[in-house]
Amino acid sequence: MEQLTTIGLNHYLTISAFLLGFGLFAVVTRKNAIVILMGVELILNAANINFLAFSKYNGEMQGAMFSLFIIVIAAAEAAIALAIVINIFKIFKSVDVSSIDSLKE
Amino acid sequence: MHSLIQLSIVVLLLPLLSFVILIFFNRKLPRRGDFVGVGILGSAFAISAYIFWQVVVQAYDPAFRIAWDFTWMDLGNVPGVGSLQIKMGVVIDNLTSIMLAMVTLISLLVHLYSTGYMAGDKNYGRYFAFLGIFTFSMLGIVLSDNLFSIYIFWELVGLSSYLLIGFFFEKQSAADAQKKAFLANRVGDIGMWLGILILYSQFHTFSFAEIYANLAAGKFGLSNAWLTAAGILLFMGCVGKSAQFPLHVWLPDAMEGPTPVSALIHAATMVAAGVYFVARIFVLLTADALHVIAFIGAFTAFMAATIAITQHDIKRVLAYSTVSQLGYMVLGLGVGAYSAALFHLVTHAFFKACLFLGSGAIIHAMHHEQDMRWMGGLRKNMPWTFATFTLATLALAGLPLTSGFLSKDAILAGAIGFANVEGGGIFYLIPLLGFFSAMLTAFYMGRQIWLVFFGESRTHLKPVEEDNHAGHHAHASHDAHSDDHHEEHGVHEVSWNMRAPLVILAALSVFFVYSPDPLDGGKGWFMKMIPTPPTVVGAANPQKGAMLAGVTAPLHAEAASPAVHGEVAPASEHDAAVATHGGATAAGAHGEAKGGHSYSDPRQAEVVHAGHAAHYTAIYISSVMVVLGLSLALIVYVFGIIDPDKTALAIRPLYLFSLNKWYWDEIYEATFIKGSMVLARILTWFDINVVDGIVNGVATLVRKFAFLNNSFDKYVVDGAVNFTAFTVNTTGAVLRKLQTGKVQSYVVMLLVLVFGYFVFYFTRLIH
Repeated sequence: MEQLTTIGLNHYLTISAFLLGFGLFAVVTRKNAIVILMGVELILNAANINFLAFSKYNGEMQGAMFSLFIIVIAAAEAAIALAIVINIFKIFKSVDVSSIDSLKE
Repeated sequence: MHSLIQLSIVVLLLPLLSFVILIFFNRKLPRRGDFVGVGILGSAFAISAYIFWQVVVQAYDPAFRIAWDFTWMDLGNVPGVGSLQIKMGVVIDNLTSIMLAMVTLISLLVHLYSTGYMAGDKNYGRYFAFLGIFTFSMLGIVLSDNLFSIYIFWELVGLSSYLLIGFFFEKQSAADAQKKAFLANRVGDIGMWLGILILYSQFHTFSFAEIYANLAAGKFGLSNAWLTAAGILLFMGCVGKSAQFPLHVWLPDAMEGPTPVSALIHAATMVAAGVYFVARIFVLLTADALHVIAFIGAFTAFMAATIAITQHDIKRVLAYSTVSQLGYMVLGLGVGAYSAALFHLVTHAFFKACLFLGSGAIIHAMHHEQDMRWMGGLRKNMPWTFATFTLATLALAGLPLTSGFLSKDAILAGAIGFANVEGGGIFYLIPLLGFFSAMLTAFYMGRQIWLVFFGESRTHLKPVEEDNHAGHHAHASHDAHSDDHHEEHGVHEVSWNMRAPLVILAALSVFFVYSPDPLDGGKGWFMKMIPTPPTVVGAANPQKGAMLAGVTAPLHAEAASPAVHGEVAPASEHDAAVATHGGATAAGAHGEAKGGHSYSDPRQAEVVHAGHAAHYTAIYISSVMVVLGLSLALIVYVFGIIDPDKTALAIRPLYLFSLNKWYWDEIYEATFIKGSMVLARILTWFDINVVDGIVNGVATLVRKFAFLNNSFDKYVVDGAVNFTAFTVNTTGAVLRKLQTGKVQSYVVMLLVLVFGYFVFYFTRLIH
């Protein structure tokens, strides 16, 4: 019962796994590039949760520091990715990734 | 380099220049360039005359000789032979300068004459080009100082005579005649080349001077029979070029060429080349070789004379008389009457050129009628031609006061002397044939003069169908004249450019050009300037096995040293006297040689000595013979005491034998030509069945093998290549489908792989 009432490490990891799953799901299935970006944000935050959870239960601050860096990098990544999406839109007049397949050539 | 040598090389090259200019540019030049040929030959003659003046008149030395040579090919040190060099060079002595002047003069006159005779011919320019190369070749022979370059120019003469004889090559008979001349000459040339090789194998040099020096030094390493063989083989070249029996058959047929060409080829140049060559090699001929030469010459002289008496074609009579006179020259060389033979060569060149050009004038005036049966009465229409032709005829017949008398008598005197020295009955056959031929010569020339110039014109007697035939021939050869039908046109004297050569040549047929004494050529400059050279082959005595004994005991001490130094011509007046039938010297030489070792030398001296004794005998006999022949011609053709047609019927077999030229052509046709054809057929059969069989068999095998090879290629090699390509292609087709270009599908693949890795990793952890 205590397992259910007390929030432990497993709860964090479970939420993180779900978050990762949703993120991947969004990246793989969505057609809109912006939604895919959102999926990528979910994956990054799933990683953040994992870092913080391990940091708390380990008693050291390294994990927390890592998650801070990841937040900063995620912000930069979002900025660059949105810029790329805007450029893609300028070139292809669309943000539908299924119609952008010029990598094939 | 002596200035005369330089000038002689200029003379040699001038006709070649004429040839080069005319063969390439005759159509671009005015008058088709005939003035180029005449002008160049004129300058060549002027230079030759200067050389002649310097050498014969100014120097007046029987031993005059200047030479120059250069190494043409240096083949280095050839294993088994030693150092090998081929030299080319020029030699000028009295004989050369006389020949130079004679050849260029006659060539010049023929050029000049041809401007009239050949006018309007469609190949007019090319004709003069051919005359140029012909003269060049002949001058090359005259100037050469070695066997090799003589052989080169010899073949060039053969080629250019081929071109000239077949000048009217549209006529089948002319094309046949040129081939015949070329082939007959080839037969002789092969012999000549073998002779050259025999000498070369011994001495490794082609130079006359070096060969004679080596011979005189006794360095001939083979038996005496080989030397005789070399002499006879070299003589074969003369047999071909100078139309001696058995290769004489080409010369009469060569009358198919234009008539001025006949004058050039059959008087001054080609046929003279053979005699000139024998004179150049005279010193190395052994006694046996000279015997062969004498008999061939005598037989040729006689045979051709008998043929000439029945021929109808004006040029054929002259052709056979040429063969006959060449026989005289060869006879003269054979009996050792060296000077006389060369004398006859020169005198004959002038009067025979005159006769040929005169007959050309007649043929030209008669609109290409050559058959004497339909001529007659031309003396009134063509006085110039008549006068010159008659003078040349008398010279050919050998009547006193003419040049022919001097030279022919000198030969016949030599022949009598030879027979006396040899002493054998059979050797008397040679002067006998000579005298008999002299009579025949007078007869057939008298006949010709009568038939052509005297009596009434017999043009109308000519059968009509033959007329058309001849007209057709003229059509083929001379377009310019073909439209005139000759009955509508009278016969006129020819123009000045054809008359002038006749007059010049006739003037050169008179005795005082050559000798102050009308009965003795020995007193003239010619016989003094062309002395008999001392021999370099004292014939060996085979029984004793000595190789060349006579060389060490030469005729004269004076002659010995120049011979060793490569100088062939005798050095002193002493020898000149020998040549001019100086009996005393010859007797002295005789005595000296008797104690010595040479067979050939005393023989020559004796011939000269006996020739002196025989001289007056020869004059009497030959004069009688000439008068006999001429009176016979008068009796038959002028007074009509003997009817020629009835006589011909009475001795029909003999008549036919002569008319058909002793059937030599038929004999050759049946033997050599048929034989060649049979051999050719056998070879064809062999070719078709054996050679082709082998080739076809090999081809079949190759095809079979190629078929196998092809299959292997197609199924194995190509199969491997194609299979590889197919595999790659298929794999590529499959893999291409993974390459969608869509980022999401790559992400899916990434996930799958990562998942796969984890599965793999954890399953390994568990185990």
